Amino acid sequence: MQVSMDLTQFLQQLDELTANAVSTFEAAPDQEALEQARIEFLGAKKGQLKATQKLFGAVGKEDRPTAGQRFNETKQAIEAALEQAQQRLQAGSDSGSQEDQQFDPTLPGEALQLGHLHPITQTIEELKDIMGRLGFSVADGPEIEDVWHNFEALNIPAAHPARDPIDNFYLGVAAAGAAKKSNELLLRSQTSTVQIRVMENTEPPIRIISLGRVYRPDTADATHYPMFHQMEGLLVDHQVTMADLKSVLRLFASSYLGEDVHIRFRPSFFPFTEPSVEVDYLWNDQWIEFGGAGMVDPNVLTAVGYDPSQVTGFAFGLGVERLCMRRHGITDIREFYKNDIRFLHQF
Amino acid sequence: MLVSWNWLKNYVALDMEVSELENRLAMAGLNHEGTESVGDDLAIDLEVTSNRPDCLGHIGVAREISVLWNQALNLPDPQPSANGPSIHDSLKIRIDAPELCSRYIGRIIRGVKIGPSPQWMQDQLATVFRPLNKDWKPVNNVVDISNYVLMETGQPLHTFDLKELFGNEVVVREANDKEVFQAIDHKLYKLETGMCVVADKESAIALGGVMGGAETEVSDKTTDLLVEAAQFAPLAVRRAARGLNLHSPSSHRFERGVDPERIDWASRRCCELILEIAGGELDQEVIDVGSPAASPEPVVLPLADLKRILGIEIPAQEVERILLALGNESLQSTSETVTVTPPSWRPDLTRSIDLVEEVARIHGYDQIPEDVGVPMVPSHRTNADRIQSQVRQVMTAAGFDEAITASMVPTDWTSVFTGWTSDAPLLSDTPMLKGADTLRTSLVPSLLEARRINQSLSNPVVELFETAKIYLPGSEALPTEQWTLTVSSGKSFFHLKGLIETLIETLKITDSLQVTPCDAALFTKGQGVQLELAGQTLGFMGDVSAETLKQFSLRSATSLLEVNLQILLKAACLVPQFVETSAYPVITRDLNIILQDAVRWAQLSEVVNQAGGQFLESVQYQETYRDPQRDGEGTKRILFSLTLRSHERTLTGEEADQIRDDVVQAITAQLDGQLLA
Repeated sequence: MQVSMDLTQFLQQLDELTANAVSTFEAAPDQEALEQARIEFLGAKKGQLKATQKLFGAVGKEDRPTAGQRFNETKQAIEAALEQAQQRLQAGSDSGSQEDQQFDPTLPGEALQLGHLHPITQTIEELKDIMGRLGFSVADGPEIEDVWHNFEALNIPAAHPARDPIDNFYLGVAAAGAAKKSNELLLRSQTSTVQIRVMENTEPPIRIISLGRVYRPDTADATHYPMFHQMEGLLVDHQVTMADLKSVLRLFASSYLGEDVHIRFRPSFFPFTEPSVEVDYLWNDQWIEFGGAGMVDPNVLTAVGYDPSQVTGFAFGLGVERLCMRRHGITDIREFYKNDIRFLHQF
Repeated sequence: MLVSWNWLKNYVALDMEVSELENRLAMAGLNHEGTESVGDDLAIDLEVTSNRPDCLGHIGVAREISVLWNQALNLPDPQPSANGPSIHDSLKIRIDAPELCSRYIGRIIRGVKIGPSPQWMQDQLATVFRPLNKDWKPVNNVVDISNYVLMETGQPLHTFDLKELFGNEVVVREANDKEVFQAIDHKLYKLETGMCVVADKESAIALGGVMGGAETEVSDKTTDLLVEAAQFAPLAVRRAARGLNLHSPSSHRFERGVDPERIDWASRRCCELILEIAGGELDQEVIDVGSPAASPEPVVLPLADLKRILGIEIPAQEVERILLALGNESLQSTSETVTVTPPSWRPDLTRSIDLVEEVARIHGYDQIPEDVGVPMVPSHRTNADRIQSQVRQVMTAAGFDEAITASMVPTDWTSVFTGWTSDAPLLSDTPMLKGADTLRTSLVPSLLEARRINQSLSNPVVELFETAKIYLPGSEALPTEQWTLTVSSGKSFFHLKGLIETLIETLKITDSLQVTPCDAALFTKGQGVQLELAGQTLGFMGDVSAETLKQFSLRSATSLLEVNLQILLKAACLVPQFVETSAYPVITRDLNIILQDAVRWAQLSEVVNQAGGQFLESVQYQETYRDPQRDGEGTKRILFSLTLRSHERTLTGEEADQIRDDVVQAITAQLDGQLLA
């Protein structure tokens, strides 16, 4: 036996001892085996615990308080394991009679306090996830835009009704008490603005989505809110056709809904796409509106410096709130922005 | 646009079922909104997009049907006989504002007999007007006829009682500012410049394109009529209709543009029907002032564009049939191109792509496949996106619910917290919600408001966060939009401090977080701090002051944290590198040090870290308590632990004691701290 012993080694031995004793007691199939195990570990003369106690003297003086305390803990743990094993074997011999009446497993568990992501965020994350798998990267752009990106480049000329001040949040800076009017800046009315910014700075091929807040003056009611979220997709390359658009949207809708669905185009009108269509998907034998789409208008391609005879592209957009409301059965858009935690906790 | 089933039959054979009609029109661009019975007729509601004003009349819809079913389109050819005196003998018409009204056509009919219009006309008008207004009633034969031609052609018309006109001259001019006009609804309207009026020598007799005037209204006593057919500018009409909230079927159509070549047709059609139904005699000749629209330019459609855009082949023969049936003219084709001149009612057709769309929608979008192989490409999740998602994970794991609040707030909220900017915020003339016309420069007020709302709903625990942009005006062309994380909590300052520390740790940011005092009025004095990371302002946090709580009617204590996410984004490490862990055990040493109150933990831990040497793995703060009787006033005891470990061997107790002694010595020397024996 070594003359002096490191505290760590001593503690390590104690841990091993506990582990061995507990597993042996737990494994004992009957009373006889348990008694043998008891003698092996807790025997007064030759038990392993006794043997370990003898090493105590070899521990350095300054470590003795710690060593002593840990030795006692070890002893208690082994004794407790023995008692548990005894109870287990006893309960097995006269089954059921000794059930602990105080233990009520039907009491509620201790709840975790987890926060909840807003359902709009959850929807956006899912959309990003699906579109990511289809090869679309997320592009971000400013919410405050100039008229070039929000209108001009999107083929919405100055006289177009969409530019009417009462249909947009034009911005100015408060100067000397009065709002200095500047019809140059406004809160973006669509996420298509990001398309322009990306195309202005990147050569095709382009495959992006942009998501975020958009703003249109509207009296808030069950189906309108002056701020909402849009997802916009854009794919520009050589030889991109409406068949590609339809196929991508079908993959998207099928991914979102979890089963193969069909897609339908209805003609529509948007200044920045030509042809323009409304997109429906077939769900439970019903055509359900999905969003708007179309081939990027040649004027838009020209505005960003592309040659429309060389490249083509498609774009599509949809309202995140509407998708989220349909999926979760939410009937009033205003719920999203009240932030009542009883609402938030449902998702 | 409501169309009458019976009415459409005047122009095109309707051999199909109604449902088939509705469906095919929807698939060709006239979305079906609903159908209802009116008497023995059907009112079919079609949504007409703003590029298709030609479908705001029955003839336009009938044309679409004729193209889709390949049927003949039968249109009337109005040639009213004029037997009266020359119109020029009694009336002059002048356009003074050609930018507001480019063309004005006047005809005069004398000696009409006002009475009810015929039953068939009343029935068809009822079909298209009654679903929108169940109190709709026919007026009289003349007014009903002008409405009938409006709904037939999409060209608004107006009839004046000629004898009520003052003087013998009609002038189309810009309205004077604050000019008062009594409309046919007998209400007074205050006009503005930019609107267009039709005036006699005395006053305005009609608000051009929007509504007629009361004075010249056709009544039972009317015998002589001036029939107006004009082209008012969309912008002028929109300005008036919106400015005065006077929307009419007429303004709706002028705002979208009328067919410049059908103005005279509509005038003749109206006169013909009046003569036939109400009698009277038409003055010879017509007053037609202003300039007719330029003729449409030919458009070349390269046939290859169809495949290039649509992804499908369409036979040239079918392309030509569609284009002709839609009213395009003088078709010329080569093996590679088709050239046509679009009709006057389709000003939206000016480019080859416009013709591609026409061919596609009539040929049918259902012909386009939905299963072509789109090539795979890689897509990269942006770092900003990943980090935002980590931030949200930490927030929800910590029990915070995510809020989304409006970007515009009431102006007086701006002064609640000006930590990010003291410049005047951006404003909009149009408030987003009641009173909210200011772009926010902090998310703090919005989250306090969300807290107040939850308080009013008696929700017991309100722990909220939001990540959104704040808008900081600057010298750049566009303002700075700063991604910001804000947290509001009913828990303590240190709970939020722990939150931001955990966030920094989760993002594997190695720079240490520093705090400096922040005296913003938002926070209780002395309990607000500015957070700094590597010398940059990361954000602000603190306990909300009583005044601010009161401003938001909050009853319980609230702590706030607001952080610039872009700083975290730059400092975050998304791909942490493995650091080998030590195989050797730790030794800990607890210390209890008496210090002056003014000594901050930041100072103490820095001294400890410097003095601790290479084996000091970490310093853990445990607690602070005070015993002024034993230690003296203005002192505190700080209890903390040192965790010591080597990567090469097991440290001995002696070594641990030595490190502890070194640390105590440094504390005594630098901070005048005493180890509590």
